[in-house]
Amino acid sequence: MITIAIAKGRMQESALVLLARAGIRLSDEAINSRRLALMDETGQYRFIFTKPADVPVYVEHGIADCGVVGRDVLLESQADLLLPLDLGIARCRIVVAAADAQALSKVPGMIRVATKYAQIANAHFGARGIPVEIIQLSGSVELAPALGLADLIVDLVETGRTLRENGLTVVEEIAESTGRLVVNRASYQLKAGEVGRLVQALESTLNGNQ
Amino acid sequence: MTSRIPAGMRYYIGSEARLRRTVEDVAMSVFESWNYEEVITPSVDYYDLFEQGMGQREATRGFRFTDNDGRLLALRPDVTSSVARMAATLLAERPRPLRFCYAAPVFRQQTQSHAEWRRENTQLGCELIGVAGKPADLEVLRLAAEILSRLNLQTSYCITINNVEIFNGVAAQLNLEPPAREQLRLLIDTRQGAELRQFLQNHTSSEARAFLRPTELTGKRDVIRAAREVIRNSRSVAAMDSLEELWTAIESLGLEDSFEIDLGDVSSLDYYTGLSLKIFVRGAGSSVGRGGRYDGLTGNFGRAEPAVGFVLNLDALTEVLGRTGFANQ
Repeated sequence: MITIAIAKGRMQESALVLLARAGIRLSDEAINSRRLALMDETGQYRFIFTKPADVPVYVEHGIADCGVVGRDVLLESQADLLLPLDLGIARCRIVVAAADAQALSKVPGMIRVATKYAQIANAHFGARGIPVEIIQLSGSVELAPALGLADLIVDLVETGRTLRENGLTVVEEIAESTGRLVVNRASYQLKAGEVGRLVQALESTLNGNQ
Repeated sequence: MTSRIPAGMRYYIGSEARLRRTVEDVAMSVFESWNYEEVITPSVDYYDLFEQGMGQREATRGFRFTDNDGRLLALRPDVTSSVARMAATLLAERPRPLRFCYAAPVFRQQTQSHAEWRRENTQLGCELIGVAGKPADLEVLRLAAEILSRLNLQTSYCITINNVEIFNGVAAQLNLEPPAREQLRLLIDTRQGAELRQFLQNHTSSEARAFLRPTELTGKRDVIRAAREVIRNSRSVAAMDSLEELWTAIESLGLEDSFEIDLGDVSSLDYYTGLSLKIFVRGAGSSVGRGGRYDGLTGNFGRAEPAVGFVLNLDALTEVLGRTGFANQ
């Protein structure tokens, strides 16, 4: 048996659809229950559902053998994991946004950046030698520029609607993010057969779609 | 006085301490039975030593402080550097081969992953210095296997082996700048098949295609056979030959169920020069040991000679055995 950690929320639904297409199904009864750990119909896979940021934690410790989580979370967590598959689900972009599209070219001595993604923001501006003050928020980041808490935000964008409605425009794109299959390094060796079957089942499902 | 304990430090009390000592004794008695001499190295040494011995990236993870004269010291982050210096200087005249073993705590201020919680780990390690080639590589692999079986882990351990020259030969052909080479290494190490395919689109010579399918990098002899179809450069071919020879020897010892070839293990390229190995045990979320051949190391201390060795993490092993019940046997 292998354990798969799935990020709750946006990722969960499309991950379960993809897994079902690869032949790994949860019963409706199980999905509708409020249990956080579930077995699939064959009893070969156990699913656990956690907050996105906790998926790399469970997998890195080997409590879960595999996980499905967005690349944004992985970039932020810096977890030491194997990343064999891009599942292409829950596609979105990590962007820099501001009220003023020219915000970055004005080169002030210090830019204030509000974000949930402190690591990603630091690495992005750090690589170009732009000094930034990171203001760590845990949600509704789009508010910060309007209220004067920050000059810019670094955040996840799917359609851009929330940005527009809060008077922000995308200044630059940092990275694209999609759901990834992640695997614990020890499980990859010790459960090579089972992990390999999961990777191959998902891979052929993905290829069948191209 | 403070009741607080620094991050990554812990106590072992009573039965846990006893189990830990038993595990240490098992390993040291196996080393001894193979004629490995125990060595105790200084706990504190010049930072330079570790930078030369482990490379800068690893050495900077150590705890550092200054000596009376201002020179930078470190609490040893590994033992191998010190043993290599000893072999090249103090014991330069001693006939080869040298066989040394140790059980010694090492310290890292910065941990490498979130799962690597401890900042003090005791390494059970051995170094075989002055012999090149398969017999020496095989000797340390057999030693590791014997220790793990003596700990009743014979059905739950897996040792992966690779030869870093396979990757090095492929990378040399691509003629990459250091940052691009590092990116290639990282993509293979983390098995990012799709990104690797993208990376290789800009390169005409693409023996690196051999690394594209993440699930086909590990396995038994077939893995080498499949790689040979794609990789033709002489440096990599020589490395595949010696890896396959080693595999044949493992098979003839009947150990093939506990070993795997992992061509994707390219995690410590600047350190190892041939064989590299990692040790996994069911119940531990990350590797509990690693090692390989480092023929370049003793040259840093003035006497270049072949060397091979490995370390097991005593604390990680104790944790697994504490849960699986070795103590009750």
